Parts: sequence; C-alpha cells; structure tokens
Amino acid sequence: MSAALELDRLSVALRRSGRDMSVLDELSLTIAPGEMQALVGESGSGKSIAALSILGLLPRGAKVTGSIRLAGKELVGLSENGLRDMRGRDVGMIFQNPLSALNPSRTIGAQIAEAYTVHHRSAPKAEVAARVHELMTRVRLEPAAERARQYPHEFSGGMRQRAMIAMALANGPKLLIADEPTTGLDPVVAGEVMDLIGELKRAGMAILFVTHDLSVVERHADRIHVLYAGKSAEWGPARTVLAAPRHPYTEALLNSVPRLGAERLRGIQGNLPEPEQRPSGCRFRTRCRLAYEDCAKVPPATTFQDDTALCWLPLDDAARATIQAEEVVAAHPPLAKGQLLTLDHVAVRYERPFGSFAKRAERDQLAEISFSVGRGECMGVVGSSGSGKSTLGRAILQMVQYRGDITLDGVSFTGLRGEARSAARRRIQVVFQDPKESLNPRLTVGQSIGEALRLGGLRDWGAIRERTAELLGSVSLPAAIAEAIPSGISGGQAQRVAIARALAADPEVIVLDEPTASLDVSTQATLLNLLKDLGRAKGLSYILISHDLAVVSYLADRIMVLQDGRAVEFGTSQSVLHSPSTDYTRRLVGAAAHVPAAV
Amino acid sequence: MNSQTAPATIRGPSANLGRYFRNRTLVTGIALALFVLLPSFLGGLIYGRDPYELHLGQQLLAPSGEFPLGTDSLGRDVLALVFDGGRATLIVALPAAALAFVVGLLYGLASAIGPAWLDRVLMRTLDTFLALPSLVVLIFFASMITLTNTTLIMLIGFISWASLARLVRNEAIAQRGRDFVLAAEQLGGGRWYVARVHLIRVMAPILAVNGTFLIGDSIFALSALSFLGLGVQPPQASWGSLLDSALDIIALDPWWLLLGPGVMIFAALLASSLIGQGLNARFGARS
Repeated sequence: MSAALELDRLSVALRRSGRDMSVLDELSLTIAPGEMQALVGESGSGKSIAALSILGLLPRGAKVTGSIRLAGKELVGLSENGLRDMRGRDVGMIFQNPLSALNPSRTIGAQIAEAYTVHHRSAPKAEVAARVHELMTRVRLEPAAERARQYPHEFSGGMRQRAMIAMALANGPKLLIADEPTTGLDPVVAGEVMDLIGELKRAGMAILFVTHDLSVVERHADRIHVLYAGKSAEWGPARTVLAAPRHPYTEALLNSVPRLGAERLRGIQGNLPEPEQRPSGCRFRTRCRLAYEDCAKVPPATTFQDDTALCWLPLDDAARATIQAEEVVAAHPPLAKGQLLTLDHVAVRYERPFGSFAKRAERDQLAEISFSVGRGECMGVVGSSGSGKSTLGRAILQMVQYRGDITLDGVSFTGLRGEARSAARRRIQVVFQDPKESLNPRLTVGQSIGEALRLGGLRDWGAIRERTAELLGSVSLPAAIAEAIPSGISGGQAQRVAIARALAADPEVIVLDEPTASLDVSTQATLLNLLKDLGRAKGLSYILISHDLAVVSYLADRIMVLQDGRAVEFGTSQSVLHSPSTDYTRRLVGAAAHVPAAV
Repeated sequence: MNSQTAPATIRGPSANLGRYFRNRTLVTGIALALFVLLPSFLGGLIYGRDPYELHLGQQLLAPSGEFPLGTDSLGRDVLALVFDGGRATLIVALPAAALAFVVGLLYGLASAIGPAWLDRVLMRTLDTFLALPSLVVLIFFASMITLTNTTLIMLIGFISWASLARLVRNEAIAQRGRDFVLAAEQLGGGRWYVARVHLIRVMAPILAVNGTFLIGDSIFALSALSFLGLGVQPPQASWGSLLDSALDIIALDPWWLLLGPGVMIFAALLASSLIGQGLNARFGARS
C-alpha cells in the first residue's frame, strides 16, 4: 500500500531582503492512510511552511527543492493549474481562526456546496444538496437541514471549525492538513474538534497535524515529528516520543505544558533564532542546557526503539531523571493575613450603545459575584468565552459600570471621585491577552514604561531611566530593549514589557486576563514561572483569568468557575481539581488533563 | 544582550516592487511641492523684475526671450506675476490649512473623548455644517466681509475643518478601546492625557495624510475665490485672479496667460495629493 504523503528532503527558501533564506531544511516524513502525523514546533520553526508547500501556497519567490509525493504523484514542479486541481480535491485543509475563512454574507450550506462544486462543476442540484447534508451530518452539524441555512455569525467557534472540516472533506480527499485548528477554541470545544479529527483518521484519512502544543495531539497522533528552526529534531511513534523523548528540545517542550498539579514549569530560555542567526551544528544548542563542544558540529541521527533524534547527547532515562531533579520546587508561602480586595454582589449589565436599535439585552453579563482576595493570594477565574470572566476583570479594574460594591483595602470605589479614585485604580493593574495590542505601537518600550512611572509622579529623567532598567531586569529583559518598538520584539518579550509596565505603578493587585493565551507553550511556561516568582517576591495579589484550567491551577490558590455570568464552582484549587462538583467543571478538568505526566 | 531584536518581516519580490512605487509617489510629490514652493518664495527675488511695472506698448506679448511667459493686457511681466501670485496664494492657503487642521483635530478629539451629550451636540452641529454647500457658504461670507489676508485665512480655515473633525472623531473612538489606551487609563492617565500621548500618536498617519490633503483643498478654495474676485484683492496678484484676468480676454487666445497659473495650481494640487498618498502607503506599510 502506498503512502498518502511522502516528503523527501523537502527544503524551502524564501526571498528575504534580496537573499534566499532557508526556512525549512531537508524535511522527510511519510504518512500512511489512517495515520495522524503531528508536526510540532514553535512559531518560526517552519512547520506551517511545510504545510503550505504541500498545498503549493508558498509566497511568490519561494524556492522548493526535494520531493513531495501525494499518493505517489510528484507535486514539486507541478504547474499552478495542476496544483489548483489537487487542492481541495486530493488534499483538504483546515486552519486556525475559521471565522476569517468563512464568508460572512453566505450561508454555511452554500459555502460547503461551493467547496464541492468547484471540483464537480456539472453536479446536479439534488446531488450537491445530498452531499452537503451528508457532510454536515458527518461533522455533526445537526440538524443539518436547519444548520445549512444559518450564517457564520450564528455559529460558535467550534461549529465554525466543524463547518471548515466539512468543506475540507467535500471532495473526499485522502489527506487532511490541519494547521493549529484548535488554537483559540475553548478546551472543551477543542477536545470535541480533536475527537472528530480522530474519527476521520480511524475512517482511513491520512492527517498532517501542525501545532505548537504537544498536549493537543497527545490522544490522537500516531507519529510525532518535532521541528526546530527549520530542521527536524526528533521523530518517532507518538507513544515513545511522549513517554521517553530523546532530544532535549522535545523534553523541554513537554515540560513547558502546564499540567494539573504541576509545581514548576521548565520552559525554554531565549527565543527561536532568526534564520540569519542560527548557530552552526545543532541549532538548539544555544538554548540547550546540556550543550557541550561537540554540539557545534552537525549532530548525528541516533535511533532507539524507532525514535530518531538528531542530537550528540540523546537523553536516556537517567539523563531525564537528572534534568527533572534540577527543578526547584519552591514551597508555597503561607498566605498573608487580611483581605485586600473584596467584591460584594458585583453585577454587570450589557449597556446598549447609543444610537443602536438592537433589542435591549435582558441578561446580566455578570450576576452577583462575591469574593475576597487576600494579600499575596492568586485567585483563578475560569470559564469559556462568553462566561463573563473578562467582564469580571474589567469590573475589578473599574473599566465598566457595575452594581454592587468593590472595596480595596477597606475603601469602597463607590464613594471615590477624581484624584482619589484615580490613585485607588492605580493600585490595581492589568496585563492583557494580546501583548502587541497592549503596547502603543508608536512608543518605544522605554517610553511605555516611562509613561507609567511619570503618571505615578516620577519626573526626573535620570530616575525614570534607572527605574525602567530595573523594572526590565525584574522581568528578565535586557535594559537595551527599552529602545525597541513593539513590532521589533517577540510576543513573549512584549508580554514581559506589559508586566513591567504594570509593576511600574507599584500595584497590589494585578488582573491577568489570559496572559499567556497568545504565546507558544515554551514561552508560556517561562512567563508563568515569572509571574509566580514575582507574585511571591512582591506579595502581589493576582486575579488570573483564563479558559485553561491547567494554566490557572499552576498559579491559583483558589479557583472560581464561571458559566453564563454565574459562579458555578468556587473553592481551593485542590478541591476544584480533585472533586469538581458540577458537570461543567468536570468537563474543564477533563479537557485540561490530556498530557500524561512525563516519566 | 542575548535578545533578538527587530526580526525583519518576510517580503516577497512583489512587496519590494510595491515599496519602490510607493516611494516614487512620495518622491514625485515632494519634487512637485518644491516646484511650487521655491518659485513662489524665491523666484521673485532671483528673477528680480517688478511684477507690477507696466511695460507700455508691450501689452499681450507672447513668450519671448525678454518676457519668458509673455505680458498681460496691462503690459506686466507674467512670469513675475506668477511668482508673486504664488507667494500671495500660499501665505493665505498654508495658514488656512493649518487652522483647519487644528480646529478639526480639537473638535474631533473633544467629540470622541468628551461626555456622550457633548459628542451628540458636536456631531449634529457638524452634520448641519456639512449639509451646506461649502463653496456657496464661502462666497456668501466672502461677499460680506472685508477681505484681507487674515480674514481669508479664517474664512477658508472655517469651511475646511469639518471633514477632518469627523474623521478624527471616528478614528479616536475606534482607538480609544484598545488595550494600551485602557492600560494608560488604569495608570491614571486622564482624557486629554490619553488623547495627547496615545490617540494622536496612533492617528499620526491619518493626520499626516489628511493634513496634506487640506493644503490642496485650501489652495483650490482660495484660487476659486480669487477667480471670482472674492479672494486676494487687486492690485495684489494671485493664481486665481491671474486666471480670471486671462478669462476676460479669452477671445484673443492669450494661452500664455493661462499657462503659468494653470500649471502652478495643477502642480500644487497634484503635489498635495501625491504626498498624501505616498505618506499613506508608507505608514500603511509600517503598521
């Protein structure tokens, strides 16, 4: 039986400021029908480039060498017409963010039908309708007849991704390419989408699954191929790679994923090197904690139990145990006494914007939430999108109108006006989800932090510069980054800057609104560690808002679970994780508990 | 320092080509602007001939070695008149554009960051204002007041600020909800602080582009007024009034009288449009 997809020493170079820049270097992999291969790596590792090159969708000027064989047929060197025929018919594809891939002005049914008729021009109407119905039933968009008449905005994120899958399946492809299809989805919904993809696999579909997060593919992948800086690092059967990774990079990636009950995340220091700055020999050596002289030479491939790693020092059980023993397990400090922030029956109602003729919303976005947070305590708020968790954060920050009362250190915000209110607000700071949005693109990093200091009354330029460098140091950034503008730094660095800016106000409470949701897992791990350390060192209270229970459980002392604006569960992290009392919480715990503890 | 700063974005050859074209738009615009500005402010000094000297017996001469752009019906040197008329046009049009810019910016910002009732009042006023045909308003007022440079600046500034105000207001409202603005407010930044430090800065591209367009609009408005005899008052020449005087004797086909002011007005408008578009593309490429 021939392979569904065979990549043989596939290399891709992109034209960048007049020079060819290698972004993918000799990738070889084979996917059999009914097999899921996960292609794993951080952003910039070349994983998406690999997927795009199979589809012939690379940017103009890209140079492809090596071979891509789809069911035995060579794709490299095929004409644009040949590629267009192949796309959608022999290969289906689904991407992150289905909303941008769907046309908002056409019904879901029409769009699925179009995916079919593009390759079946003369198909009679009845056949198309039957096919659409069959596809929608297959991805469980039911009742199909009714769902087909709806528009993308009437669908939830998970349903939109199902619609995309239906479109990808329209012409019965043998290969499905999925590029981060669950990123941005609720964990519960993401789990359902993954189960659907797993079902397709069992029905004989070959699947190339591109992701940065190993935990996503853990349940369904048969083989895992890890890419680092455009080069394969390790590949083998999923079970072996996950349980006993041989390459230090794979091991570090696995330990970057927060697991329920984890005390310490490892993360990977530094950033993926730019193509111009890749080190010689093993490309991971600049970030590898085990690197030695030999690593400057091209590493050999060693295979053990069908698991191949390109490494001079492939890990064995003893080495893995040593690495794990190095992790410092800091004990929780006892909670400081006294309540700092208290919410008393806080409720937020949707305000109709002026001039809108929409029906007045009846429902409270947030209904009667009460709790207290102690000094140095981390309160986790978990819920899916639309549960009101961000609204709760904004109420605490005094960014929205609310009923009820919020007191900080015994002083209620209700009676505060003008300067006093402004000063009280400064004591509560915020870190947003999208690090690039939270910094003014036209200010340098130093100006953004300096602004926070100046608004706090610091006027002397020398003092501002000194304090800025100090704050950057406390979030492990070099002082020189103060000169950079946001578009010139990575997402993880930008998020550290946002934390430094929050710290500049000397706050007592920081609202963390999905602080790691848009970061790679390796970056997420180092950032969560940083937050944990800062919280302890400065006695900060956190309100940590996230849809990811594993992230929350890593930092939070207590957890509140929100559903439809109501608190459905509230207790210590331990009790919520180990004895969830509602069905909803049990599903969240189930969705978060995918990755098995590494050996 | 071990951080990688400023990763360049991946650019295909088409993007490089596009950048070249965008640059060319801007460069062409700037060249045209110099073609308009330098003669208007320095041309007269270098050329040295009095624009208002009447060369008797030499009326309506076609361009020649002695009079490069010929003479008008009073025997004045047209080239010298075009230089002096350019200066007269620009010293009114440029401040008028600046005035419209400042008024439009402040009005739009006040509407965006002020209380909701103020926004409503300001925007309804603006609607009413925009509903009036601006040229008719311009002519109406111009015919009622004493026309000096100062009153002309006020008048043209007064009719040109409105569209910028609306643009600023809408853009500021869109930017006001962004995370970095919320963060600044959380740090204690007040309304005007946020407007000054954040909103104006992120709106800089839009402001630069539309500010440039305002200059073209002002030159056009002043030339139109002068053409109707309601702009810069005689004996002072301006591009618009030069066209007007040429039109009086159009039957004699004095093409050289139309050439100078016509080319200059055209070049000024084209320069403002090209610089605006060029800036727009450059800023667009950056953000």
